[in-house]
Amino acid sequence: MKEQTDEIIMAKVAQGDLDLLKILFKRHHLHVYNFLYKMCRDKMLSEDVTQEVFYNIMRYRASYKNGRFVSWMFTIARNSLRRHLQKTKVNHEDLDDVSYRLIENEEPKEDYTHLLRALDKLNPSDRELLILNRFQEIKYAELANIVGSTEGAVKTKVSRALKKLKVIYFENL
Amino acid sequence: MDKKHVIDLLPDYLDQVLDTVQKQKVEAHLKQCPTCAAELEQLRTLLDAFANEETAIPSNRVEANFLELLEQEKRELAKVVPLNSKQPSIKSGWGNFLKIAASIAMLVGSFLLGQYQQERESHVEIAALQNEGLELRQTAMLSLMESKSASRRIQGVNYIDEFGDLDESIVKALTDRMLHDENTNVRMASAEALEKFTASEIVKNAFIKALKVEKDPGIQITIIQTLVRIQEKKAVMPLKELMQQDETQPFVKEQIESLLPSII
Repeated sequence: MKEQTDEIIMAKVAQGDLDLLKILFKRHHLHVYNFLYKMCRDKMLSEDVTQEVFYNIMRYRASYKNGRFVSWMFTIARNSLRRHLQKTKVNHEDLDDVSYRLIENEEPKEDYTHLLRALDKLNPSDRELLILNRFQEIKYAELANIVGSTEGAVKTKVSRALKKLKVIYFENL
Repeated sequence: MDKKHVIDLLPDYLDQVLDTVQKQKVEAHLKQCPTCAAELEQLRTLLDAFANEETAIPSNRVEANFLELLEQEKRELAKVVPLNSKQPSIKSGWGNFLKIAASIAMLVGSFLLGQYQQERESHVEIAALQNEGLELRQTAMLSLMESKSASRRIQGVNYIDEFGDLDESIVKALTDRMLHDENTNVRMASAEALEKFTASEIVKNAFIKALKVEKDPGIQITIIQTLVRIQEKKAVMPLKELMQQDETQPFVKEQIESLLPSII
């Protein structure tokens, strides 16, 4: 089969050709997973949320509006992740949840590169922009779509975030 | 010489997305400006680090689970075929209905229709959920409950019937909906769902807490009846307090008055 764009494939999925979702999954699940993993540094959670993202793409296929597929996918991914993180936070505040503390204590993991450690020191929205822009190579216009902002504003934010990151990166080298 | 630093252009310069004029300007400036040249080197190192960062690989279960879910959804779709023939008319009816509803604004009917549609949908979806692993069903339910759409949240709450024993995370999500959801219908659905699980201390305490914070008289009644039914002694004080409050509806007060003695 010839390479079809994500958008054409997703439009067919929306019409009920579910098998085509496998192509989108193959193309993009690593992108989703890596975005999530670099955001939260939790493998299990990233796997769960990756699965949830594609499940939601399938389930809400009819709501796909022919925009850039990747933007739509990352919008779903960041919302899912936020929900999961909020849930953990709320539980902790409300009920002093034990499992949350376990997750907390699980950290310092082996394979932290210097770059990832520096990224972790940024605030979440700066970190998210840089991960999407530099790792996922999402252009400013789409990035604006995903985070609900304008292209100009996003460009400025990315540029500032990169400067902050640079300072942190070289400070601790 | 161009005195103005070009630091802001450097990322685009390294990404090679500058136009020729800008590119020449940057290069000319870099030759004369050690500050910007040093900046460029740092930035290059940083961006190289991004480029060299390894792609993390998830375990196989992600793909396996996804494929399984896909097959399930396909099976469900196949089952629904006879229903599908009816669907177009329903859909266009729904569209027309929305137009009318919009003109009448804030129509209670839209909620009812939503519920009707949801019931239809949820049959299909619940069936789809039936064979999934428990963990996945919980995830689906929890994520529905966090949805922006109130009707989706209600749908999520209604999945409760799918679970025999309640997982702690589900209980928390449900009590959270009952106590904090902005939508009255979602709070009501959650209260009704939790009614059956009053054996749990967490649920009991949530009902008592809801008694203090809930302002909607309909939900207040549901809460009061539940607490009375389970003979919750700890509810007596909050019930009395509710009866004293000025803003409590008269019929709610009556309800408390008539039911309170049966606890004691």
